[in-house]
Amino acid sequence: MSSYFSPQYLALLLPASVCLYAITPQKARRVILLLASYLFFWAVSGSLIVFLLFSTLSIHHLGLWLDMLQQNSKRELAQAEPDQKKALKAKAKKQQRGIILLAVVIHIGLLLTLKYSHFFLTNGNSLLRFLHLPAILPVPTYLLPIGISFYTLQSVSYLIDVYRGKIQADKNLFRLALFLGFFPQMMEGPICRYEQTAQRLWEAPKMTWNNFFLGGQRILWGIIKKMVVADRLNMFILNVFSGYDQYNGSVIALAAVCYTIQLYMDFSGTIDVALGSAQLFGVALPENFQRPFFSRTISEFWQRWHITLGTWFKDYIFYLVSMSKPMKNLTSKARKRFGPRYGPILTSSVALLCVWLCNGLWHGSAWNYIFFGLYHFALIFTGNLIQPIVIQVTERLHIDRNHLAYRILQTMKTTILVCIGELFFRAEGLRNGLKMAWRMVTDWSFAPITTGNVFAHGMDGPDLILVAVFLVVLFFVGLAQERGVRLGERIMAKPWPIRIAVYYAAICFLVIFGAYGIGYIPVDPIYAGF
Amino acid sequence: MKIIKPILGFTAFALGLLIILAGLSYLFVPRTNTQAAGMEEIIANGIQGEPANSIDVVVVGDSESYASISPLLIWKDTGYTSYVCGSGRQYLSYSKTLLERAFENQSPKLVILETLCIYRPIPSKTIVMDEVSRYLPILRYHDRWKYIAQHGWSTSGGEVYTSPYKGHRLNSKVSGVEPSNYMKETSNIAEIPVYNRILVEQIQEMCQEHGAKLLLLSTPSTVNWNYQRHNGVSALAQELGIEYIDLNTIPDQVGIDWSTDTYDRGDHLNHSGCVKVSQFLSNYLEGTKLFSDRRNDSQYANWNTLLQNYETDVSSGKGDQR
Repeated sequence: MSSYFSPQYLALLLPASVCLYAITPQKARRVILLLASYLFFWAVSGSLIVFLLFSTLSIHHLGLWLDMLQQNSKRELAQAEPDQKKALKAKAKKQQRGIILLAVVIHIGLLLTLKYSHFFLTNGNSLLRFLHLPAILPVPTYLLPIGISFYTLQSVSYLIDVYRGKIQADKNLFRLALFLGFFPQMMEGPICRYEQTAQRLWEAPKMTWNNFFLGGQRILWGIIKKMVVADRLNMFILNVFSGYDQYNGSVIALAAVCYTIQLYMDFSGTIDVALGSAQLFGVALPENFQRPFFSRTISEFWQRWHITLGTWFKDYIFYLVSMSKPMKNLTSKARKRFGPRYGPILTSSVALLCVWLCNGLWHGSAWNYIFFGLYHFALIFTGNLIQPIVIQVTERLHIDRNHLAYRILQTMKTTILVCIGELFFRAEGLRNGLKMAWRMVTDWSFAPITTGNVFAHGMDGPDLILVAVFLVVLFFVGLAQERGVRLGERIMAKPWPIRIAVYYAAICFLVIFGAYGIGYIPVDPIYAGF
Repeated sequence: MKIIKPILGFTAFALGLLIILAGLSYLFVPRTNTQAAGMEEIIANGIQGEPANSIDVVVVGDSESYASISPLLIWKDTGYTSYVCGSGRQYLSYSKTLLERAFENQSPKLVILETLCIYRPIPSKTIVMDEVSRYLPILRYHDRWKYIAQHGWSTSGGEVYTSPYKGHRLNSKVSGVEPSNYMKETSNIAEIPVYNRILVEQIQEMCQEHGAKLLLLSTPSTVNWNYQRHNGVSALAQELGIEYIDLNTIPDQVGIDWSTDTYDRGDHLNHSGCVKVSQFLSNYLEGTKLFSDRRNDSQYANWNTLLQNYETDVSSGKGDQR
């Protein structure tokens, strides 16, 4: 099994889990979910399942330890004299922080070792060569268990939430195991918080037809997005990004746009399958996308794209840095020096920089990912800085910032900036990304597009038309969703013959227009690699 | 009773879907083997355009097969007809499909399976798709919507495609190599994927049903072949009672010179290497006494014309342009 799109998942694991879940009593359902989750993990990553088991056990144990310290601290504080309380509190905080530090060292350390040691050691060797030092650091290669970047973040957030008193440590190892290992979220997220899913999973609610059909519809929609659009664009993108020096700027720009579409369709399609799979069992996972290409600014884009990662970084990196003592001091100094408007912007940018460095690195251990993170940091920081100026200028020129034309221009600007960022994200190394961008500036000609030469590189005219038509459909679906229309429920409300006809039409559309079989390369979900 | 209703509902839904997909399959199956009609891998499928029962030897395999074997050279030497149903990175499951299609119209006495695809693992998705598309060909030919969008529906036949080189692909470029560790003897065995073993058995059964002999052939390649793989295929051939010839182990008899006989540093043979392998095969085929010389048979006159065209292409350097 390689992904949620493999026949083993769609034709065996998921239907078998659903059938068993439907016919077993409530207490056995949670066991079915846990077994199915571990079976899925084992089928994808084999013996690397020990990493998930280790994470689950250690997080459970550390959570209980933290809880015990908190209870002890409460007892001691209740019995302590008023003048001792401050010292006791400080001592308790220190001990608890020690546990958090230990958890971070173990879990983030494991992630860093498995995912990033190759990158750091390779760059270390480059530095040694640059300094003409004879030493060479051994560069190990590790196999990565599926979803380690996702379940590690869930583990850390669980423990920090316990530390912050937001949730209580879970004494039930199996509930925590299900929260961390639930199979629909394992491959690409969404990154769930304990309070969002743990209890609901443990309750293992009874299956309902409503959830069954809504979940099924969502799975089908996700598969269509991935297989009709994302996989169709793959060959063209592969050709251009691996041999960019043979193409001029317009083809590279088209490839960057195509990759942005591919990434969105691939990632959001996989998330649709994940959320749909969970809904079959009556579990609502948090949404990860909210029509990101309707965004007017880069900040808004990141509030609509990979939402659960963004909120994770906000809650556990941004606030951690910006609410720290040195940062508070810096903010008050900056406020005095640069005024109440720009002072906080400048200091919050330090926290923002940390977030975007982490965001870039989280996606992969390569310089182009770090550049991708810094690029978005620069865009958001600049956006924050110039926002007051834009407001002043538009007011002086009597431009209505809520006018449709203005909003469309803003959306187009944001989309173009996103596409440029994705060019670096997809490029085979930062150097190639820069060369591709340079080619877009210095070697621009529409000839390959106007003469149709571009269609000889893995994508023909009908492919392009199909993608364009699908995007138009997606635009109107998005527009309806922005206005609060829930299309899945609308379909459910129709009489059954119409519903059946819609399902048949969707399946036939997928069968005919899916990019699979001879002439296509199967593409594993892109974010599963992160 | 509660469970009966949903089971009936799902069964009815699935049946309805099967009927729709079967209808679509009828509409989407190519009427002929041409590219315009939507056929995939037209050179490998070009055998469908050959007159019925006119091919003595069918070769299936990946790029090694179409680079190493020239049916027109074998024709020149022996007067036997052969066709290479070869395609790039061919999966063994597709070799089986191509052979099934060949047997619909041909009665070859010998089937040669180039062995590199025996070691190509087949993704599970492809296995499922291949099996299901036997019954629902829409899954294989769904991409014909592009052709249908341009040319409209057609249920009638039309022009058929035949390969001018009978499946062989000419490449005369030279990019030599000095092999190191090539075919270094060892007792280690490279394991054959389980599903591929089953497919070899099925191909063998299919050949037996159609009265054809199966020969496993490893053509020379320094990049793709080694002694572990030789041992693996030898063991399989012995187990199933299939004849196996590994040209990599008999360099003296084939005479491959790796400095001149490859166009991509040992991965594939070029025309010069292909001449040597085809010569070897001609001798082998003659030795089997299974076939008769058809060079003077008027029904096969166009083979002589095609041979002349092929030789003209070789001498005019057409193979250098690839």
